[in-house]
Amino acid sequence: MAGVTTAFNPAAVERIGMGQPQWLRDRRAHAWDVYERTPMPTIRLEEWRYTNLKKKLDLDSLRLSDNSVFSSDATTWPDRLRAAMDEDREASGHIVIIDGRVVHTDVDEGLAAQGVILESLHEAVTNHEELVREHLATRAVPAEEGKFAALNAALWIDGIFLYVPKGVQLERPVRVTRWLSEAGVAYFCRVLIVAESQSQVSYVDEVLSDDLESQTYTSTAVELIARDGAQVQYVAVQRLGRGAFYQSVQRTLAERDATLDTLNVALGASVTRVDLNARLLGPGANSDMLGLYFGDGDQHFDFNTSQDHVAENTSSNLLYKGALDGNSRAAFRGIIRVLPGAQGTDAYQTNRNLLLSPGSRADSLPNLEIEADDVKCSHGATVGQLDSEAKFYLMSRGLNRIQAERLVVLGFLGEVLAKLPLGGVVEKVTRVIEHKLAQQA
Amino acid sequence: MPQNDTVQDLGLDEYKYDFVADTKPVFRAEKGLTEEVVRQISAHKEEPEWMLEYRLKAFEVYNSKPMPKWGGDLDSLEAVLDEIYFYVRPQEQMERSWDDVPDEIKETFEKLGIPEAERKVLAGVGAQYESEMVYHSLREEWAAQGVIFDSIEDGLKNHPELFREHFGTIIPMRDNKFAAMNAAVWSGGSFVYVPKGVSLDTPLQAYFRVNQERMGQFERTLIIIEEGAQAHYIEGCTAPVYSTESFHSGVIEIVVKKNARFRYTTIQNWSNNMYNLVTQRSIVHEGATMEWLDGNLGSKLTMKYPSCYLVGEGAHGEIMSIAYSGDGQHQDTGGKVVHMAPYTTSSITSKSISKGNGRSTYRGLCKVHKGAHHARSNVECDALLINDTSRTDTYPYIEIEEDDAHVGHEASVSKIGEEQLFYLESRGIAKDEAMAMIVRGFIEPIAKQLPLEYAVELNRLIEMEMEGSVG
Repeated sequence: MAGVTTAFNPAAVERIGMGQPQWLRDRRAHAWDVYERTPMPTIRLEEWRYTNLKKKLDLDSLRLSDNSVFSSDATTWPDRLRAAMDEDREASGHIVIIDGRVVHTDVDEGLAAQGVILESLHEAVTNHEELVREHLATRAVPAEEGKFAALNAALWIDGIFLYVPKGVQLERPVRVTRWLSEAGVAYFCRVLIVAESQSQVSYVDEVLSDDLESQTYTSTAVELIARDGAQVQYVAVQRLGRGAFYQSVQRTLAERDATLDTLNVALGASVTRVDLNARLLGPGANSDMLGLYFGDGDQHFDFNTSQDHVAENTSSNLLYKGALDGNSRAAFRGIIRVLPGAQGTDAYQTNRNLLLSPGSRADSLPNLEIEADDVKCSHGATVGQLDSEAKFYLMSRGLNRIQAERLVVLGFLGEVLAKLPLGGVVEKVTRVIEHKLAQQA
Repeated sequence: MPQNDTVQDLGLDEYKYDFVADTKPVFRAEKGLTEEVVRQISAHKEEPEWMLEYRLKAFEVYNSKPMPKWGGDLDSLEAVLDEIYFYVRPQEQMERSWDDVPDEIKETFEKLGIPEAERKVLAGVGAQYESEMVYHSLREEWAAQGVIFDSIEDGLKNHPELFREHFGTIIPMRDNKFAAMNAAVWSGGSFVYVPKGVSLDTPLQAYFRVNQERMGQFERTLIIIEEGAQAHYIEGCTAPVYSTESFHSGVIEIVVKKNARFRYTTIQNWSNNMYNLVTQRSIVHEGATMEWLDGNLGSKLTMKYPSCYLVGEGAHGEIMSIAYSGDGQHQDTGGKVVHMAPYTTSSITSKSISKGNGRSTYRGLCKVHKGAHHARSNVECDALLINDTSRTDTYPYIEIEEDDAHVGHEASVSKIGEEQLFYLESRGIAKDEAMAMIVRGFIEPIAKQLPLEYAVELNRLIEMEMEGSVG
């Protein structure tokens, strides 16, 4: 049977669902069914043209994570995890996930009193059953979304549930830090954020690991729902070690006048695959979609984005930029869809790539499908090398070649970060890029 | 000549090529595509054995390939193909003088203005009617310099070695389903050879006319431009409007040798019941320039992506594409540039206009192979939407394997600006006229590259199409 391995099978789905409400067990069983019915994507599919799963992913070699050896005692946590948290402590609340399970949660008491919920998804199934039941794998990332969304919906173990009630505004971001320690494991995690009308929240999710000696797979299904007039910012920073296959399936639903912005930063892992679908469902909705990647060695990045303008007078603006060194490779495939009747749409899409070495490669496919006439849409893509004039200028000011090159790359990628009003995240990402650049020399 | 009244009733009378000549073909194969039809075509052409074998092999390849799942809607095509006549021989032999062409056929081409244009501005003319070239002629001065401009059949007959060296090498039969189909049933088209250093200062033109209902036309063209030579080839095509579908699938192979320069202009104005699935490709050698000027105005569905394979250092490829999609039309067009050598440059400029429920799709590829350092490419696509039921898509593939290359793509979609319209109206210009003016301005950068008579034609077409389009 397609996709059944020693680790992934109906018995595992049943076992994970044990003790959970019947509706959830049914949903898992249904998802498994979809997973089995859906063929494994091949490069013959447009969406998978640039990532050959036959070569890149060996599901048979993976096992599901056992019970985590880590506890809620922060002193037992890996140093790098703690360091990542300490880099920026400004937060409305924290969640720490180690090896797929939430080990720590805290949330500002004042916010909790106002009804803000931040907790482990596993617990939320019991504590906030109705909310979870309404939104989990239903509208945003249902199993029908695709082979991997189905696998996640069948096998997820834990994740994050964040609920912001009507009109509540969080001044500081919610911070999630995730750590993977076990190689050869498949981790399935879900993020569910519901922001009620006129609320406001920023969410920063960072995932890290050391280098992993065998392929390690992490799958995250991200469901973001912004009700009328809500403002949501979602940031995912991926700093995994080599050996990791990072996959994230994200969908954002922006209702009337809502703003739902995302930033995906991909710096680590051997393979990164992000599917991001932004749906502008209500008039006046807006989505800014930012992406940043920096590869070296034989890293492989694949971003598959779509901007669906369903309602009138919606706007979206996508900017994905990446620098590629060594033999790294990036593919970007984006599509703007303006559905019939979505008049007054403003939609933009830009993908820019910097090739830093002879072995690097970039493929870009910025697509448009426009079925309304009163629209402003444009897209652009470029692939090129380092701006030699900028480099020359910096060297004429006394910087050596390596310093000059670093600065130009930083400036190139910095354009994305400059659009993000989250100081802590900007500093953190800049530091990681600087660190990575320093290693090139 | 009988006028097709029913068509006028449908209000499609702005298509001025909708007239039918009462001609009796000398031979017509059974409808549908069978091995027997392939053998009949070969026999009629008295071909060498290798060509028959080539056709039969291609027929096998055609049958083995599935219908493409991308591009336009080909779901009903299989049923259409069963009803199509794949080979219709209009007369016994090709003529060198219009006086020898049968009156009914000659009249058709006179209506299309071909003999007149030939006298005035062309170096040579080829005219295809149904499946065969009925007329081919080249001015004496060019023939004296060794230029060959002939039907593809005469190319095979009279220049067998040159023909065999290039035929099917640029577009192999396995390239795609319709290239295989063409390789099996090709008939008509041009064979062009321009010797080293010869520069034709006026264009060669081939005109393709489909007259009969349920007709399939499969022209095959092979063009060889020798070192340092220059030429310009124009193809035009029209057909009467029928209620049933017709089918056209050409294969155009071009070699542009070192430092040569060649331009291929297409003005495709098939009637709106035509499927037009064409493969056009050029191999461009060191220092040479290839330009495609591709105008797609007619047909029900066109899928055509002229391409330049830049194989020699410093080769340059240029594709200028203009598409117009009215009600019931889908233009799925664009271009491909493949950089395979250092210092190669290319540009693609595409403009499309969609009106009513018409759909224009740009589909393109820019590929830079490893080693093609200092490659530069720029792609620009602009789409104009006239109505809220019009549709446009852009699918540009950019694949870069070389770090020392610069590739850019830009596209924009807009509707006719209210402000532009308002300004023109405030100057006393009627709305229809203002619309036409704005659309003309939009396509002007490409239209001005067209030969004069086609540019005029395009402008007229746009004016007619804009009438009554203001909702």
